[in-house]
Amino acid sequence: MLQPLLEIKNICVEFKTRGGALKAVDDLSIDVQQGEILGLVGESGAGKSMMGAAILGLIDPPGRLSSGEIWFKGQRIDQNPEPFRGCEISMIFQDPLVSLNPLKKIGDQLVETILRHKRMSRAQAIDRACRGLIEVGIDPERLNAYPHTFSGGMRQRVVIALALASEPSLIIADEPTTALDVSVQAQILKLLKKLCDSRGTSIILITHDMGVISETTDRVGVLYAGRLAEIGITDHVLRSAKHPYTRGLVASTPKIDPDSFGRSLYQIPGSMPKLDAIPTGCAFHPRCTMRTDKCSQERPPMMKDTAACWLLEEME
Amino acid sequence: MSFITAKNLVRRFDLSDPWIVRKLTFRPKKFLTAVNDVSFSVEKGTTYALVGESGSGKSTIAKMAVGLLTPSAGSITLDNHNLNDPNLSPQRQRLMRRRIQMVFQSPYASLNPRWRVGDILKEPIQSFDLIQGTKNQAKRVEELLEQVGLSPSDAKKYPHEFSGGQRQRISIARALSSQPDVIICDEPTSALDVSVQAQVLNLLKSLQKEFSLTYLFITHDLAVVSSVANRIGVLNKGALVEEASPEELFTNPKQDYTRMLLNAAPKML
Amino acid sequence: MKRFFASDFFYDFVRSPVALVSFLIVLFLVLSAVFAGVIAPTNPFDAASLNLMNGFTPPMEPNPFTGDVFWMGTDDQGRDLFSAILYGLRISLFVGAMAVALATVMGVLLGLIAGYMGGWLDNLIMRFADIQMTFPSILVAMLIFGVARGILPPELRDEMAITVLIVSIGLSEWVPFARTVRGSTMVEKEKEYIAAARLIGLNRWQIMMRHILPNVLNPVLVIATITLALAIIAEATLSFLGVGAPRTEPSLGTLIRVGQDFLFSGEWWILLFPACTLLALALSVNLFGDWLRDKLNPRLK
Repeated sequence: MLQPLLEIKNICVEFKTRGGALKAVDDLSIDVQQGEILGLVGESGAGKSMMGAAILGLIDPPGRLSSGEIWFKGQRIDQNPEPFRGCEISMIFQDPLVSLNPLKKIGDQLVETILRHKRMSRAQAIDRACRGLIEVGIDPERLNAYPHTFSGGMRQRVVIALALASEPSLIIADEPTTALDVSVQAQILKLLKKLCDSRGTSIILITHDMGVISETTDRVGVLYAGRLAEIGITDHVLRSAKHPYTRGLVASTPKIDPDSFGRSLYQIPGSMPKLDAIPTGCAFHPRCTMRTDKCSQERPPMMKDTAACWLLEEME
Repeated sequence: MSFITAKNLVRRFDLSDPWIVRKLTFRPKKFLTAVNDVSFSVEKGTTYALVGESGSGKSTIAKMAVGLLTPSAGSITLDNHNLNDPNLSPQRQRLMRRRIQMVFQSPYASLNPRWRVGDILKEPIQSFDLIQGTKNQAKRVEELLEQVGLSPSDAKKYPHEFSGGQRQRISIARALSSQPDVIICDEPTSALDVSVQAQVLNLLKSLQKEFSLTYLFITHDLAVVSSVANRIGVLNKGALVEEASPEELFTNPKQDYTRMLLNAAPKML
Repeated sequence: MKRFFASDFFYDFVRSPVALVSFLIVLFLVLSAVFAGVIAPTNPFDAASLNLMNGFTPPMEPNPFTGDVFWMGTDDQGRDLFSAILYGLRISLFVGAMAVALATVMGVLLGLIAGYMGGWLDNLIMRFADIQMTFPSILVAMLIFGVARGILPPELRDEMAITVLIVSIGLSEWVPFARTVRGSTMVEKEKEYIAAARLIGLNRWQIMMRHILPNVLNPVLVIATITLALAIIAEATLSFLGVGAPRTEPSLGTLIRVGQDFLFSGEWWILLFPACTLLALALSVNLFGDWLRDKLNPRLK
């Protein structure tokens, strides 16, 4: 077993408020292997963006990483994430409009990023930048263009090129295609997969879209109320989910299926609890159709490395 | 029998530079044709879905259908009444307004944050003079809240006390309070989580059955469309490129653009 | 009311020394002005009660002729300065508050109209605002004051002095309100709840007043507080220059002007006490306004 590229061990992200400390991420542990695309799926408030930000220490006060450890390539990085930011670990955000400096040509932004992390002459950096643009499917002639002359999808490609400029081992992509049209989204996802294959870069893909998860990721982790509900190989999780929440999520996702008209969509009753009202025991139990008494009393640990659910205990 | 008919709808937007800039640089006026000769018809009690990407003109058509924009050419008729007839008196126009209402995309910007929910729901009732007397109006508000799955005590609360999905329910209740025949749904679930989306879509379907509503459903999501629409129209850059029932569209798409959209849509399993 | 005392705002308020102290000073001065009739030992405006022999009495020392003691001394005509300051505070505060009220109403209305209606009306109002802003507000106030003086017949001049003062200061301070409200209006106008209001058949005025107005008032309170400080100083300046409150109904500014004449002949108290009072008032209002602005701003995120 190769050592995982990234190991997240029991992290908690807390927010201090007048009423006490709220946990946006509660005792979460997950690993990322080399060369894999790991999906993190969850609804709003589940804590997936928080998790992505926590890896690089990008959480704004009053929030903070209150406990746990983050290990990258065998080194502990949670106390000192800065050397890794943008270098070994890059990040891509949702909105390409605000990820690029509108006042600088994209070539300048690329070259600046390259020179920050590698020592080389400016001419070599420009050459690198051109190759980077080709890799993401942009004509290198546009090196001297400003961001506003690009469409949304093209801008996101530039952002990906920027993220790759430092040749990172890990890219954290936080909802990279949510703001894009469906056709453009397909192209960007294909690009991400290609980059993972050709360069061996691992990607953490954070999204709420199950379809994106299904098409792009190798493994997927399902988050609920700041906790990991289920983790496993994408196909397994989607086809035969073990956790009731995952099952409900898959069932309520609309699919392109001509037979589906006239039938109601499956709906999970209730809604995700707010951070200051997380139920005792298993956070999902009030909405779960298969809950037992134990579910409301004790929080289930991750069973058999797949799902955090007491129902799995009986099967052991 | 067609209930809503759009005939040769055109909408142009004037994006010209200011007059003086044009005179000095000898440039002509610039127009953007957002909707270019679109025609479709919707049967009473059914859902017609308009699908397209950004810039396809679907939101513009929705706004024309509901009266927020006037067409540059062409017409929309409801039950054989032309909605934009210049001969209509302001009274008649208001009556037409009541029959078509809209549910918007953003749950956060579609409710006035300073008004209580009960007042938001009461406003259309008062404005269209549908029910007189504060007691009767309050009862109707309670009724509306229950119809969308909320409780009567929610009338006293403010919008920010509700989640996104609940706010969309309030928006739907507001649309219902005018007792309309048609509801234009402009991407009503695009900003919602998957599980909440399912709840809202199911609610819309059950309300349609209960009140014989006709829906014009605007979306970019083909998967959503497949569970709600009787008929689908595909828009590309302002033109209606294909129109079919969901079965035909998904199993046998005729146009390249439709095929491209179907391929690009992320598929589960 | 109870919700207010339990709110975050109140919590931070009682924990901030600046906010608390400045608010208490303002409160103290306002109450003194309101109850001037009760607190003041004499009525400085009643010419009959003045004794010229009391003139130029230093503070806390008995007058060599009449033996009366005055806490803050007297001016050249024998007026008790303490009473004069209390009554002068009244005028300063009254003019300041009324001027701000006028500026607020005018600015908010014009801002709403400019923001919502757009087009040439927006252009007209904003260009008018731009032109007015190129002049210092004191000059604008003096201009309006002068015009009003010119129009009014001489008998009314002194009586109307306060009203003219209010109008001229108010008209010179409406622009920040209008600009801010216009900006917020333009943002709110695009939101879907306004489209929903149009679908219900409301006309433009109904939408502006019922729906947009409540949502653009947030920054107005802060601007009003800061404008109050400016208005108080503006009134003092105008009175100091001789074009504001007359000697028969002096405000703090008028008293300062009088005091300045006598500073170098040794009667320092006639200048010092009114000046300190004005300083305390303007500074406290300013500090509280600043704190309010900082408090309310990040919340808008």
